[in-house]
Amino acid sequence: MAQVELRDVTKIYETGGTPAKALDTISLVIRPGEFLALVGKSGCGKSTLLNLCGAMDFPTSGTVLIDGVDTAGLSDSALTRMRREKIGFIFQSFQLLHTLTALENVELPLMLARKPHSRATALERLRWVEMESYSDRYPHQLSGGQQQRIAIARALAGSPQLLLADEPTGNLDSATGELVLNLLRKSADDLGVSIVMATHSVESTAVVNRIVRMRDGRIVAVENAEPARILA
Amino acid sequence: MKYFLPLFTRLIVRPLRREPLRTSLTVMAVALGVAVVVAIDLAGDAAAGSFRSSLESLAGKSDLLITATGGLEEKLLGQLVQLPYPLAFTPRIESFAFVAGKGEAVPFFGLDLIGQSLASDTGSALAPMGSVADLDENTIWAGRSTHLKPGEAVQLLINDEMRTVKVAGLLTSTNELGEDRVIVADIGLAQKLTGKEGRVDSVDVSIPKGESVEHWREVLRRSLPSSVDVNPAGARTDENRKMLAAFRWNLHVLSYIALVVGGFLIYNTISISVVRRRTEIGVIRALGGSRILVGCGFLAEALALATAGTALGLVLGRLLALGAVGLIGTTVQSLYVSSVPARIQMGPAALLTGIGLGLGISLLAAIAPAWEAAQIPPTEAMARGREQYLAAVRSRHTIWLALGSLVLGGILTQPGPVRGKPIFAYISVILLVAGTSLAVPNIWIAFVARSQRWIAMAFGVEAELATRSLRASIARTSILTAALATAVAMTASIGIMVGSFRDTVRVWMDNELKADFYLRPAAPAGADRYPVMSADVADRIEMLPGVAAVDRFRSYPISYEGLPANLAGSEGSKLHGAAAIRFLPGEHASEILAQLPRGDFAIVSEPFANKHGVDAGTELRLPIGSETRKLKVLGIYYDYSTERGFVVVDRATLLKYLPDRALSTLAVYLKENATPNDVRAGIDRIVSGRSVLVFPSSGLRRAAIQIFDRTFRITYALEAVAIFVAVMGIAGSLLAMVIDRRRELAIFRFLGADRNQIRKVILCEAGLLGLVANVVGLVLGTFLSLILIFVINKQSFGWTIQFHWPAGLLSAAVAGVFIATVIAGFYPAQKAIGLNPIEAIHEE
Repeated sequence: MAQVELRDVTKIYETGGTPAKALDTISLVIRPGEFLALVGKSGCGKSTLLNLCGAMDFPTSGTVLIDGVDTAGLSDSALTRMRREKIGFIFQSFQLLHTLTALENVELPLMLARKPHSRATALERLRWVEMESYSDRYPHQLSGGQQQRIAIARALAGSPQLLLADEPTGNLDSATGELVLNLLRKSADDLGVSIVMATHSVESTAVVNRIVRMRDGRIVAVENAEPARILA
Repeated sequence: MKYFLPLFTRLIVRPLRREPLRTSLTVMAVALGVAVVVAIDLAGDAAAGSFRSSLESLAGKSDLLITATGGLEEKLLGQLVQLPYPLAFTPRIESFAFVAGKGEAVPFFGLDLIGQSLASDTGSALAPMGSVADLDENTIWAGRSTHLKPGEAVQLLINDEMRTVKVAGLLTSTNELGEDRVIVADIGLAQKLTGKEGRVDSVDVSIPKGESVEHWREVLRRSLPSSVDVNPAGARTDENRKMLAAFRWNLHVLSYIALVVGGFLIYNTISISVVRRRTEIGVIRALGGSRILVGCGFLAEALALATAGTALGLVLGRLLALGAVGLIGTTVQSLYVSSVPARIQMGPAALLTGIGLGLGISLLAAIAPAWEAAQIPPTEAMARGREQYLAAVRSRHTIWLALGSLVLGGILTQPGPVRGKPIFAYISVILLVAGTSLAVPNIWIAFVARSQRWIAMAFGVEAELATRSLRASIARTSILTAALATAVAMTASIGIMVGSFRDTVRVWMDNELKADFYLRPAAPAGADRYPVMSADVADRIEMLPGVAAVDRFRSYPISYEGLPANLAGSEGSKLHGAAAIRFLPGEHASEILAQLPRGDFAIVSEPFANKHGVDAGTELRLPIGSETRKLKVLGIYYDYSTERGFVVVDRATLLKYLPDRALSTLAVYLKENATPNDVRAGIDRIVSGRSVLVFPSSGLRRAAIQIFDRTFRITYALEAVAIFVAVMGIAGSLLAMVIDRRRELAIFRFLGADRNQIRKVILCEAGLLGLVANVVGLVLGTFLSLILIFVINKQSFGWTIQFHWPAGLLSAAVAGVFIATVIAGFYPAQKAIGLNPIEAIHEE
């Protein structure tokens, strides 16, 4: 079964009374364990597609199935439960809570899901991203790359089936960006997580299995790729 | 400066307009603070500003006033008129009357109307009052405000008698405040109605224009007996003002609480602004903006909020004063002196006080955050989250400052008053509040460290998240907690003080009011008004079977060392229940009461002793009767009936010098085997036809407690406003927190939090703030109450109050504040769950 399936999905936003089509009859299947890159310029609809895949938004028309379940038929609490149990998010600007330490940031989704042993699990995730020694640091005491690794640990904290990454290297230099991409690749390989990454950088696609090119809310090309396991 | 205004508009005004609710809440907080101060100022002036008797202000020019304890004999007036001096003398009778069918007591004056109408140079503003021909045995003149009509027959209750009089006409003059709520009768009728035949209360003296008042005062003093006082007109007003100074001063201080709480909230608002605009500050600094520009920008924000709040507060204050004047008037009348509330006038002084305090406290509160904003290096300003980290680090250092303030605050409770004002005690209160506020960050850190796990276990992950969030935003959390804790502490301390006072008075009454029945004239009574009833009432009641003894009590208002007081004669010493009068520790009641009737001895009440520095053994010099008498003080007794203070002599001693047998009150003691109902029936028969009130002791106690509760309504009202301001601040700040943390709340949603969880987090934050503020406030309030009871009260009013914890009242207040705080979280919580997480994340 597909991890996520989009069938003829269209998304229209009203901006100042003027409708703007963010996605135009898109169909896409994301398979379990697959690392997929959405590539395109700013405004092409990548983030909108990620939001739909993450049950954060509803399509204007068409169907979004996550783990075989149509998101349109779900209540707010069911969508919340779905996000909690199956999906992890990574953002371009890390979106760590500045008032929480690294460990507390990672522990947060576990606490929201009322999972037992949240502290131990969070520490385990921090160890996995090799940030255990920074667990007591606040975000402002960390570099951009370190913050993004904490964000990845947080996204993986609840053992999601799907990881949605919106320009995860957008705020990082190329060397740090490669480390983060490597970590994402490792997540897909070692943990079997499906990853959908929105990016405008062609270099970032080196680690993915499939590249979906978008323009003006449409998919213009889908290419299979051989991911590089370890980047330079 | 050229660019300051546009920058101010863009960076300060626009954000304020973007959040109208939060801005309005801050403006309202300042407005209420200013309003309370202005209202108390105006109402205090109105309630206390009318000591100048209605007659003094109505009758116009008078330069000296001749008075004596118990009044002046009429023959003295004859002697005065014979003096070879160019002086005009106007005798006066002063009393209060109930007009049948009207609820209020009206000032009643007797004047020599015939003399006045014949002499046109008295300077009286009362004329024209109709022709002298209108005068007959029973005619009166009334001010328009009494709503009496010419020709109307009215019944006046003065002392213990109801008399029918006819309204001859209306007074055409009003005093400078436009008041004319008085009744005037010719002196002869007034003497008859007040039972003062052959006597007058005072004599007004007019001296030739341009001559020295002091000169003529000396001349008259030499011509009059030593027991007669000659004082400049208005001296009594000054005495009353002096007596009321401590009360009004303490009331003023109390009114500042809401403003201080408002100041905390301005501090909080500007701090939040600084935190939220750190990035903007960084950008402005990076673009070449100076530190001064940044600092001034935030001060200007405070000034803008303060200006709006102050303007609104002045209007609100004027309106609140209408309600406050009644409340203050009740206290003044119950404890101090008869006064008729004057018209509320918003003078320049009140305006300047309101404006100065509103703007001043707001700017003062904004200095620290504005200074901090100005000091932020541009690079650091853009590092998000660092400010809270720095606040947490700073809190480690503030604990020493907090401890220092608390210790110094404790030490400053020791020095005595300065010019009768407990200045050091108030500084001590400020230091305790400041010390506690400085300790709040550490209290939060300790609280979270010790309770986080328990809170999570009891209330779930949302409560734990709320705890962490509050702990993480320690700077903001601490300010809010300190503001609410201050309001709670002040309320608790006043609550404990008033509760303790109430309990002390209750116990005192239980001890003191041992008689079975009490009688007093039905005419209007007050702290300086003692209507009298006929002595034969007591003589006849004493003869009733079943009556063991009676205590005839007569009281006169006097002046001692420039302050109003009371002189009384009692038969308390002859009673078996000598222990009914409780003396200060170390003094033996039975010995004192046994010695009291044996000569010119007196006992004095505690407030009198404290006010005048009197001890057992002190010799008081009091003008009584025809000369000044020396009374040796045998002891000091507890008394809570009036702050004016009492000098009590044996009734026989009083009658020796003031042979007027009329009574102010009468206590009736029954024999052990007597039937109260039978005796009561006997008393009712004796007083029938007279207007005398008969109370069983339980009724008197109940009435006294009711008066007590009415007296302290104003303090409760002030505290309620302070609490309201603080809770409003909590609502505003939680709203700011939600807006400020919309990104964080959006991340919660991305991480799997549902709407209820978000709501619960915000409500838990509100609840935790309320809880910690309540606990801190209660502890601080208890210490403040000790200062209020044992230092401020003692130094200001001289009463001994036994500490008593009014558990019910405090529990209700704390529960009320807690519930109000949680309710204050509902709107922000609703706002939080209404946020669109995608939009919030995209804002970054």
